[in-house]
Amino acid sequence: MSAEPQPVPEEVAVDVRDVRRVYRRDGQEITVLDGINLQVVEGEFLALMGPSGSGKTTLLNLIAGIDQPTSGQVRVAGTDLARLSEGALAQWRSRNVGFIFQFYNLIPVLTACDNVELPLLLTALSRKERRERALTALKVVGLADRANHAPRQLSGGQEQRVAIARAIVADPKVLVADEPTGDLDGKSAHEVLDLLVTLNQDFGKAIVMVTHDPRAAQRARTRRHLEKGVLEHRGVPNEVGP
Amino acid sequence: MKYLPFILKHLRHHWMRTASTVLAMVVCVFLFCTLETVIEAVNWGLRSANTSRLVVRNAISLFYSLPLTYKEKIREIPGVRRVAASDFWLLSFGGSADFFRHPSYSVDAEEYLAIYPEYILSAGETKAFLEDRRGAIVGPDTAKEFGWRVGDAIPLEDRTANLKPFEFVLRGIYRVDNVRYPGTDGRILFFHHKYLEEATQNRAGAGFLVVEIEDPQQASALSASIDALFENSERQTRTETESAFRAGIISMAGNLARLLNLIGVAVIFTILIVTANTMSMAVRQRRTEIGVLKTLGFGSRLVMALILGEALALGALGGTLGILLGNLAIEALPGLPAIGWAVQQFPNLGLSPAVASTGLALALLLSLAAGLVPAATAYRGKITELLRTV
Repeated sequence: MSAEPQPVPEEVAVDVRDVRRVYRRDGQEITVLDGINLQVVEGEFLALMGPSGSGKTTLLNLIAGIDQPTSGQVRVAGTDLARLSEGALAQWRSRNVGFIFQFYNLIPVLTACDNVELPLLLTALSRKERRERALTALKVVGLADRANHAPRQLSGGQEQRVAIARAIVADPKVLVADEPTGDLDGKSAHEVLDLLVTLNQDFGKAIVMVTHDPRAAQRARTRRHLEKGVLEHRGVPNEVGP
Repeated sequence: MKYLPFILKHLRHHWMRTASTVLAMVVCVFLFCTLETVIEAVNWGLRSANTSRLVVRNAISLFYSLPLTYKEKIREIPGVRRVAASDFWLLSFGGSADFFRHPSYSVDAEEYLAIYPEYILSAGETKAFLEDRRGAIVGPDTAKEFGWRVGDAIPLEDRTANLKPFEFVLRGIYRVDNVRYPGTDGRILFFHHKYLEEATQNRAGAGFLVVEIEDPQQASALSASIDALFENSERQTRTETESAFRAGIISMAGNLARLLNLIGVAVIFTILIVTANTMSMAVRQRRTEIGVLKTLGFGSRLVMALILGEALALGALGGTLGILLGNLAIEALPGLPAIGWAVQQFPNLGLSPAVASTGLALALLLSLAAGLVPAATAYRGKITELLRTV
């Protein structure tokens, strides 16, 4: 299964090698990922597809550094995540990965701008600088005029765009998105996908997106398919239109 | 400090939960402050008691007097230095019938002042008082309250034995030195017991006798000797040290301090459980949010600190409000109809900085304890489990 470790080219943003993820539940071992090898180069937009329970979200969590593989290696933005302590990993996440959730997961007590500003609280930036950057990120997603709105005052599509602003505000190299359009109507989903494409094409963000939706996957540059914890051998390039 | 707005926004958003938790804290700190203040006042009163002083009273009750002839008999007991008759009188003066706030004692002036050096008078004032049978001296607090000066005539009405109105002449305002004599009451009006004897045609007797002894170590033996002396007389005596006498009066209903402490501990424990439960529920409802914060890069320690910070903010708010409320209540206590009279016996009643700061520390400690379990849960929670939607 495991091949000889290959040198990682500079432009590889995500390098997953021989990764297994096994859960133990009620004394039984459940293999969720088995021998996964995946490289995502910088500027890539990869859609991970597969049926429920195929391990898509688990693989995404490993790439985002919020879960650890049972064996194998995960390198993201040049860092071997297994070498980092829990505290260092948290710090690394704040600088290198932006996470977009299916259900947006905005903090309900905070305004849109406060939500976007959250990751910047972990930096040494002044309050004014944090606010400026948060507003810039909101401008990128087209919601600068909603900066002071609470999440409950926004539509689902707007909430997801605020969540995207929060994901990009610290300028990470990699964005991971877990079913970002799964809770949205067609129009809002289209807008969110347009935004992800823009971030990929204009801002050079590497994006790994988990999706069930073939139309959403169609917007990515490449599609990979997971089936019962095993990644299909080759990616399918999409024809990404302007 | 940059996380403070984050914490405060949470508290404001869940205002109902915040208000109920703060209210619990307020009740806790309020009770602590008022109970501790009363206990402190009781103890303060006891501190002023002198170990070389005994108090002799009627064995049946304080309401029964002792014959003045007992004075001479007690004085003859070896080890006794001085004896003075004294009695508590319900005299209303200056338009006030607030007997406990303005206590009046009839005393054998010469002996009494020698036994109680804490009532400090100048030589001139002492002489003027001793030479004038209609003379009286008063504490600085009462003199200030009524604007009395030395030489003023003070009309008083008796409510004890319904005697005709008295008129005393103020011969001195005693000073108190709470460093040398802690616990000295600055509100008492003293007048001559002899004046009272005259007014009652020698029917007054003595409410109690104050005995100064040479050796405090002999207090028990001398008390026994005094009581033995009148064992077969018509009016038997009960003799005890001054502190025991005061403690007896203060805690007639039992061990007041212990009772108050027990109530306080029960209330605090109950509020701890309620607050801990509220905090746990709050954190359980925010599992996803904690997962999101950790995903964004907030370390486990920081997340734990935010939850503890929230708990501490509740404690600080509840503690401060509780202290303010406690202070208001303590100020209002003497004016309350049912318990005011009892509270007025404590001249120094007031919320001390020590009790207030202990109350605040208690609130902070309580909130910290309540926040500890939910904070630890948030600390330990794995992101993937926290983000899992139920």
